[in-house]
Amino acid sequence: MNAVIVGNGLAGTMAAKTIRELDDRASVTVFAAENRPYYPRPNLIEFVAGRLTQEKIYAFPPGWAEKNRIDLRLGTPIRRIRPAENTVEVSDGSIVSYDALLLADGASAGVPPIAGAGKPGVFTIRTLDDALALLDYFQNHRRVAVLGGGLLGLEIARALRAREAEVVVAEIFPSLLPRQLDPQGGEILKARIEAGGIRVLLGVAAEEITGDPEARGIRFKDGTILEADLIILAAGVRPNTELAREAGLTVDKGVVVDDRMTTNAAGIFAAGDGTQHRGRLYGIIPASFAQSRVAAENICGREKIYAGTVPSNQLKVSDLPLMSAGIIRPEGPGFEEIRLVRPEAGVYKKLVLLDGILAGAIWMGVKAGAAEIGKAVAEGRNVAAFKSEILEDGFDFKRL
Amino acid sequence: MSKWECTACGYIYDPAVGDPDNGIAPGTSFESLPDDWTCPQCGVGKDYFRQIED
Repeated sequence: MNAVIVGNGLAGTMAAKTIRELDDRASVTVFAAENRPYYPRPNLIEFVAGRLTQEKIYAFPPGWAEKNRIDLRLGTPIRRIRPAENTVEVSDGSIVSYDALLLADGASAGVPPIAGAGKPGVFTIRTLDDALALLDYFQNHRRVAVLGGGLLGLEIARALRAREAEVVVAEIFPSLLPRQLDPQGGEILKARIEAGGIRVLLGVAAEEITGDPEARGIRFKDGTILEADLIILAAGVRPNTELAREAGLTVDKGVVVDDRMTTNAAGIFAAGDGTQHRGRLYGIIPASFAQSRVAAENICGREKIYAGTVPSNQLKVSDLPLMSAGIIRPEGPGFEEIRLVRPEAGVYKKLVLLDGILAGAIWMGVKAGAAEIGKAVAEGRNVAAFKSEILEDGFDFKRL
Repeated sequence: MSKWECTACGYIYDPAVGDPDNGIAPGTSFESLPDDWTCPQCGVGKDYFRQIED
């Protein structure tokens, strides 16, 4: 079996590792656009914050690929896939054949359509090289503006604040994390972030990066200007689908696969952040991991099905645990909302009830009860009997 | 990177595997795990873990 893998992020690396575990005699070749061995992407934030050294970013010790007889070609992207011939054309011009090809080239940082986004001093964070370039520029440019108040934007802001930068986060929505929080919860989070020394601007849409030739600030659509000499675009990611599209594979939001992680072309599989399964594009670690394992099993001739991943509703933002589930901004008659609010501790608990049935919840700043409440929302449990005490800290969730 | 064992239940955290179900990518060292990471098997905190030889 001759397997060729495009990409050495989580999906590509874990697929290579799994194929080797399943088939000792398989030939495994990995082509990586980045000139770096695999590292977990969340480590980039730790690196930017100065909490992790560059050597400690990598997942495996030097020589890991050789030891596992994985032919890892760093800095060697694929130029073209030729499905009819079962070959790929490599950036150095060579042609490599495959029995099975796995597309795991992931996603790239999204760049919003803002004039001047290509100026020196404007960065995205997706790769180690991005992080290195950012830190290099940061040495002499310490007024930072982060465009995008999502999870990544807030994490990057905190990481640079940890290096004592002057940091402003600018978010286009009128409140933070609108999908996870209601306006009151968003206000508490905002106050918490500001207490950490980061300014937060809400409801502002960037129109242009000012400065010539280097970035010197952001002009917003309302005409106001924010001065900054290092600007980070944290506007989500965009799946890498060009190779697949050009090869005639079915591409929608991502590369479309079936439950065996196969594309519409014989012998070509896909897994990871660039992959669309049953209409969904996940972009989260648990999904990429599960997909890569299923793809590897099928590449090795075992029948294995991927049935999808249930994303966790628990996350962490600015060091606060946050669980949010169901209807969090109820509209229409019959809903009742109960709250416990302690802004100084970042605590915000809110339950949305409909005739006593738990229809939605926000659970921020407290981990105890988060899992149980999330489950109770999913099951539509009636909690009317506990209404007066369920928000209290000592509540025994076994009673639910 | 070394493995760590949960003293409460015996679960072994292997950095090469990570804890993908809980969003921890393979290759994340025990030291880099978030402070509030808990044992996926029994739920105790990081301070219940001890380093073991690999």
